[in-house]
Amino acid sequence: MKRIFLATMILMGITIFVASTAMAAMMVHPGKTVEERAINGAKAYIKKHNLKNPTQTMLLISLFKNSQPKYLREWKKLTGVTMKTIQYGYTDIPAKIMAEAVAKTGQYDVINHFPYVIPDAVGAGTLQPLDAYMAKGKPDFTGIDSGLLAQQTYKGKTYWFILDGDHIALFLRSDIMKAAAKDYKAKFGKEPGCPDTMAEWEQMAKYFHTKKGETRWGMKFDQPLYGAQAYRSINFSYRHFPAYMGGLLFDKNMKPTINSPNGIRAIKEFTSIVKYMPPDVQGWGTPQLYPHWGSGRAFSFMSFPSAMGYANRNPKSKISGKQLACPVPAVKGASGKMVRRAPQAAGTGYMVNSHGKHPELAYYFIQWFTGPTKGDEAIADPAGFWDPMRASNLTNKAVLDKHTEPFVKMTMKNAKNAISLLMIEGNYEYFNVLDKNMAQVMQGNISAAQAAKNVEKGWNRITDDIGRKEQIAAWRASVASGAYIDKFAPTN
Amino acid sequence: MAQATIKERKSLSAWLSQEKVFRLIPFIMVEATFLLLLAVPFILTIYISLLKWRANRPFEQAYFHGLLNYVRVLTTEDFWWALGRTFYFAGTAVLLELLFGFLLAMLAYRQFRGRRIYITIFLVPMMVVPVVGGYNFSMIYIDSGPLNQILSPITEAMGINPRIRWLSHPIAAQWAIILADVWQWTSLTFLIFLSGFAALPQQLTNAARVLGANRWQIFWKIHFPLLKPAIMIAVIIRSMEALKLFDLSVLLTFGGPGTSTETIAFFLWRQVWQFNKYSFGAAASILLLFMFGALIFYGIYLLVRERSIVEEESMR
Repeated sequence: MKRIFLATMILMGITIFVASTAMAAMMVHPGKTVEERAINGAKAYIKKHNLKNPTQTMLLISLFKNSQPKYLREWKKLTGVTMKTIQYGYTDIPAKIMAEAVAKTGQYDVINHFPYVIPDAVGAGTLQPLDAYMAKGKPDFTGIDSGLLAQQTYKGKTYWFILDGDHIALFLRSDIMKAAAKDYKAKFGKEPGCPDTMAEWEQMAKYFHTKKGETRWGMKFDQPLYGAQAYRSINFSYRHFPAYMGGLLFDKNMKPTINSPNGIRAIKEFTSIVKYMPPDVQGWGTPQLYPHWGSGRAFSFMSFPSAMGYANRNPKSKISGKQLACPVPAVKGASGKMVRRAPQAAGTGYMVNSHGKHPELAYYFIQWFTGPTKGDEAIADPAGFWDPMRASNLTNKAVLDKHTEPFVKMTMKNAKNAISLLMIEGNYEYFNVLDKNMAQVMQGNISAAQAAKNVEKGWNRITDDIGRKEQIAAWRASVASGAYIDKFAPTN
Repeated sequence: MAQATIKERKSLSAWLSQEKVFRLIPFIMVEATFLLLLAVPFILTIYISLLKWRANRPFEQAYFHGLLNYVRVLTTEDFWWALGRTFYFAGTAVLLELLFGFLLAMLAYRQFRGRRIYITIFLVPMMVVPVVGGYNFSMIYIDSGPLNQILSPITEAMGINPRIRWLSHPIAAQWAIILADVWQWTSLTFLIFLSGFAALPQQLTNAARVLGANRWQIFWKIHFPLLKPAIMIAVIIRSMEALKLFDLSVLLTFGGPGTSTETIAFFLWRQVWQFNKYSFGAAASILLLFMFGALIFYGIYLLVRERSIVEEESMR
């Protein structure tokens, strides 16, 4: 009797397993590739809902206005879905998303932006969780490093598909290093090259910093050569600071970690190198920094990865072919160990508006466009600004042709250390407090220790205003997702 | 059926043709416009200012927060810094605009050859769209740009670095914004003063001349007192606008370097559109309305007083 019961139970278990697997397989749209499944998914959706000439709209970062339309035309050809675009500068889009949260117009179906809008937009109910659609479309994220991949999720759900490995990197002038190699080695005991630490980068910046009119290493400098340049203005500092922090910005209970010896060290290192940068750097964004780098008036540049391509391809550039790409240097982080952290400073991706009429149809577009084949095609697009982010980029000829092999190798190595910026609600406000205080230190108005205190106070105030309990939950979830690589210290 | 409709139409036209209804229609229209455009948004803003609501949570989750948003605003250090900066920008810019506008009007109110062309040229800056003006100035102010090129003989002679960092030095950036504002809005004060000069009664000037008054005495004892209402109008109009300074701060420096050019309007924009703090923003804007309103009404009170003094003196 017992045996019969056991056999029956096993049989039932097998039947349920086979049936559920078959059901799940039936739910998945047909197609060998991610892109095929997305196309078939879109077609099936259109048929099921009997849509005639379906039209959707994408809220697009204007930087992609020249590169995106080609793929939208292709999508229409493949599925019959017209995808219009509404373009704004990336600084304007968060406000548009929040306005959509209030107005619920459904005017945009797809939203193109950085992952940092996710927490606020999810809180406001503007973003559609994609997990149910993913079960049908089976996207493939293999070859994407954990820090980048974690940005796609928030509080355990997926909201964003990545297509841009925009983590910061360091670029050095290879021609100047070659000329100065002997002298540098005599002084520092090693040839100049990618610095291992931030301190070494500053040492190099100091060494290569050259006044106008000087002749060094057989080179006459008609213009000053600044030892370094990097993003140090409001709205940009926060994107770089985590590289100096080398650890989590909050503990397990959302207590800021910046007001600590490690935090103060990070502020000091972040601000100290400014003396080797152009004096205007505190007012500069990309439109000023990129041309300045291309003009050959700086020795090193910590930047978005596209700086290298810009300086190589821009016809006015004086440093084409004279750059060495390096991963972000290491710092002695909170754990006391040397760690490299490359903040994903921008990095665009695609989301679905929950107020749109056909969010599932919008989803199929983003699965198709960010898929391994189509996504790699976009990354290789000469008109595009999508940076390498998948392991497959290392062997993709078109990607290598566009970005150069040394750069792709470096950026994929750097991606191992790529971390997200703050993935919690109110992140822009947290960032602003940090930026303001960094600016004050750089202007010599306050000390690093005072800035650390101010930031701690400001961040606590924001946490309390939004709701400490909710913020702790979101913060713990984002740390657990691996978005920052670092985990809470055991003592926490 | 048709008869009933005709009857209805007749009674409607009879009702509309009444004198009291005719007088009531514009009143209703004004009231409706007032309600729609001013009262409703104002009441809504007050309502939102009493809630705890960030746009990163649905409005349905907002709850009554009493006056805590007002307390929050008043205890936020950045609010006071931004307010102080705004008064500094507005005060300095308006003062310079009054001075230059007055001087230009003094030069242009007399008849001379080509006067109309000069007046037209002086008025052009006011007609330039502020965004365009802002972008132009952002190019003029580049450290290797035209302004520093023009100033270089003077700066070099004074031993100052000719590459003045107009947009990246905290103090220079503040002056860059003030000067751009002065360039654009001196036209308005010029126009106001020009109309003030044109309205000066010629017989008073002639009488003073006959009595032996010199030019300075005529200006100081007759023209200037008569121009006081025009000055007050210029002060009020320009102050109202200058206290809302936003476009130049965004276009030239985006509030930086640091926060050195963050005005109160910029501060509010950040709080609402970047940080999603709608109820905080609403409370701050209500507070500002009362602060600025008190100032403007005080200005209007001074204007009315000046006018009555001028009228009394001209009656004597």
